Amino acid sequence: MELTSFTFKKNVKKKLSDARLQNNMRRFGGRFVEARAKVMQEVDNLEDIRVAAAAIRDRSLAHLDTYLTLFEEQARQRGTIVHFAETAHDVNRIVIEIAKANQVKKIVKSKSMVSEESGLNDAVINAGIEAIETDLGEYILQLAKEPPSHIIAPAIHKSVEEVAELFAEHHHTPKSTDIPALCREAREQLRPHFLSADMGISGGNFLIAETGSVAIVTNEGNGRMVTTMPKIHVAITGIEKVLGTVNDFSTILRLLTRSATGQSITNYVSVMTGVKDAANADGPEQSHVILVDSGRSRLLGSRLQQALRCIRCGACMNHCPVYQNIGGHAYGWVYPGPIGAVLTPSYVGLKEALDLPQASTLCGACQVVCPVKIPLPELMRVLREDSFADGLRPWHERLSVHLWRFTANHPKLYGFLTRYVVKLLKLMGGKSGQIHWLPGLDGWTEGRDMPAPTGSTFRDQYKAQRHER
Amino acid sequence: MSARDNIFARIRRGLGLPTHPEPAEREQALKVLQEKPRGPRPSQVWQDPVQRFIERCAQLSTTTETVSDILAIPMAVASYLNQHHLTREMVIWPGLAHLNWQQAGLSVRVGSAKNEDLVGVTGAFCAIAETATLMMPSGSETPSTVSLLPETHIALLDKSRIVNYMEDAWDLYLSEHKTLPRAVNFISGPSRTADIEQTIIIGAHGPYRVHVIIY
Amino acid sequence: MKVGLFVTCLVDMMRPSVGFSAIDLLRQAGCEVVVPENQTCCGQPGFNSGDRESGRTLAKRFVELFEECDYVVAPSGSCTGMIRIHYQDLFPENPSLQQRINQLAERTFELTDFLVNVLHIDQVNSDFKGNVTYHDSCSGLRELHIKEQPRQLLKSITGLTLKEMEQAELCCGFGGTFSVKLGDIATRMSDNKCRYAQQSGAEVIVGGDLGCLLNIEGRLRRMGDSTTQVKHVAEILTYKAK
Repeated sequence: MELTSFTFKKNVKKKLSDARLQNNMRRFGGRFVEARAKVMQEVDNLEDIRVAAAAIRDRSLAHLDTYLTLFEEQARQRGTIVHFAETAHDVNRIVIEIAKANQVKKIVKSKSMVSEESGLNDAVINAGIEAIETDLGEYILQLAKEPPSHIIAPAIHKSVEEVAELFAEHHHTPKSTDIPALCREAREQLRPHFLSADMGISGGNFLIAETGSVAIVTNEGNGRMVTTMPKIHVAITGIEKVLGTVNDFSTILRLLTRSATGQSITNYVSVMTGVKDAANADGPEQSHVILVDSGRSRLLGSRLQQALRCIRCGACMNHCPVYQNIGGHAYGWVYPGPIGAVLTPSYVGLKEALDLPQASTLCGACQVVCPVKIPLPELMRVLREDSFADGLRPWHERLSVHLWRFTANHPKLYGFLTRYVVKLLKLMGGKSGQIHWLPGLDGWTEGRDMPAPTGSTFRDQYKAQRHER
Repeated sequence: MSARDNIFARIRRGLGLPTHPEPAEREQALKVLQEKPRGPRPSQVWQDPVQRFIERCAQLSTTTETVSDILAIPMAVASYLNQHHLTREMVIWPGLAHLNWQQAGLSVRVGSAKNEDLVGVTGAFCAIAETATLMMPSGSETPSTVSLLPETHIALLDKSRIVNYMEDAWDLYLSEHKTLPRAVNFISGPSRTADIEQTIIIGAHGPYRVHVIIY
Repeated sequence: MKVGLFVTCLVDMMRPSVGFSAIDLLRQAGCEVVVPENQTCCGQPGFNSGDRESGRTLAKRFVELFEECDYVVAPSGSCTGMIRIHYQDLFPENPSLQQRINQLAERTFELTDFLVNVLHIDQVNSDFKGNVTYHDSCSGLRELHIKEQPRQLLKSITGLTLKEMEQAELCCGFGGTFSVKLGDIATRMSDNKCRYAQQSGAEVIVGGDLGCLLNIEGRLRRMGDSTTQVKHVAEILTYKAK
């Protein structure tokens, strides 16, 4: 996916003034939040399960190479071919190699965020192979030539009106804004592709080491289609997604779907192991798993390791007041919201995404709902520390931090400066008591007044009071 | 060095482990897995898993009915299809061929589903009460297309095989089979999407209707 | 009981009355209040901007100024959160200093939390009359679990009616330096907050953190709302009819 995180501030301006997007985001508003809150009521020991889920993820990360080795052994025994991709670019190369070796002409895809990292669709299409997204949201975006703006609801930024226009244009059908009719239209358009494709590509929500399985969690049934109907199935997922056992998977699943869409479970959960053999009536004859590093191993042992616990539920973005206002595209890469503010700089480089860790009030709403207890505000702060230490922040920001630290550590200087600053600010507030413009703080005064102080500091007033006595 | 070698070297370096693992390290890491620890389940308990399963089905738009006897199934299927004005032709799992479908006026084809099939009838390995989920392992006798391609999926469920949690379902499967099949599909209601304006629409790429007949 | 008041830099500069209200509340509850003269800031602005040194420098100053107090109280959940939570691992190379800091951090409380959970106050001396709505500031709410404490105290005022707004826990968009660095997002967030607060039907928006209150007030005034008042909870709890 094309990276635009380095123009975050510009992206934000555009998104905030995009009336249609703002309208769509308002509608999106609290729905996931409400659904999650409601479904969590049926889990009376949520905190215990969160602690257990975080521990399961930590255990996987602590033994990552051992778990991956076990996965590999088990998967191979069942006829699955395991590939390793060091970079996003390698993912595309491997997929195209598999496709070419098998004379693949058409690929059907279910949702895979990892494949968005590498821009797999474009690469495959450039190699002369047809690639069709089959998740409804992703399908809409493929028609619109847009990237996803949410990891589980990729077309959340689109209105039914926009979808209707796209379908009418691409399917040559009369325009309808009836949502059930649009869904049926998509089903009818895509069904022939499922049946005629020679390769299916899916993500992998998890790998299960003890059984060599790939697990995917879906609602629409397209995931089952792409992993059942074509003769080749390729699953693409990050190396960190491995779990130990089916029991580990059951625990994590209990939180994943509830955190994501507010469902107790999704309609389909498929755990796939190996290839179709004599004992099977259907399924792919070839099974491949591509395990992607692409920056992940770099986080191991770092202060950001906990980010690798992520199970991609999207709750952090659903609950993030920044995301709720700017949408996913402003973040400029695959993963938006708080987890994106941590992963994007980690995977593509801090310099390329300098403003993302700053794009949070550190309000903590994300951390409270994260099913695997990733301390997201803390991780954003770590990245802020890295950018400060590396001198990546603008000079005036660094200077003011240094000046404030120095001033605050010299109480006499602090007392002297604040005395005059508050006098000046009082003057600037005038009769209304509101400052409309403050040089250097115009980020504030552009949209808000600054209530003026009363003219003397607490410390001066307190001193005077004690004096009187 | 292969991509795999490079990745594994980076992992071990990141974790602060020696370049090559000692056998003891692997043994220790895998020991936990052999113990297969179970995570916490929701502690609210239901007395009767069958009752719980039926209640939860309703929330997922799965319909249910209970019949007294396995022999009553074909008639129940026929009346369900009648009620919904659906075709009386259907594809069924091989293991269900012995039932007297003809007597109920139904015409069945045995095997995998084709695109034209509008109704698919399957069994279920077991079901999970917590989430009203059917566990459907793939196999030559249990083709997974039958629960996927048709618009209507009717599943026959033995009430003695409704377990409380997914962990119990795995245990049950692995007590009866040595390894996992090519695919285990956990099915919880008809396919759905909410990708347009977060409006939940029942019926996406899979079935529009899931009906469970409990016997 | 000797209680040190950590005034906080924002109260010091922008609304000294909050500091005096806090003193009144503590004295009324029978505390001996001390206000160390050389206090400044907790270091959070720099710390959250990525300068760990800001935290270290000011944590050290904090412990030196307040160590002799039985308790330290601040009229801010955010500064208290900085001290109680984020001061905890600033000096890995100096365990004895870190231990002193941590011991003091444990005795440091946000004002309403201290009044309710340490002093067990259930009644305050306030003549306030009217409808208020309470905005939960993020650090207080999520780091220190301050939710019922201010409400309990507010509800003890006879003439006061608490009208909960929708989304009381939604961030107002302040976020310290965030409100300047990404001012346009902050403005949009405060917009949402102001709307919910206005819809509550309260005449006064009350909160426990001055940063949020300045942000909310600033947005209200810019939008042309000059009537909705914005007050720190300490000011309401000590309100005297003139």
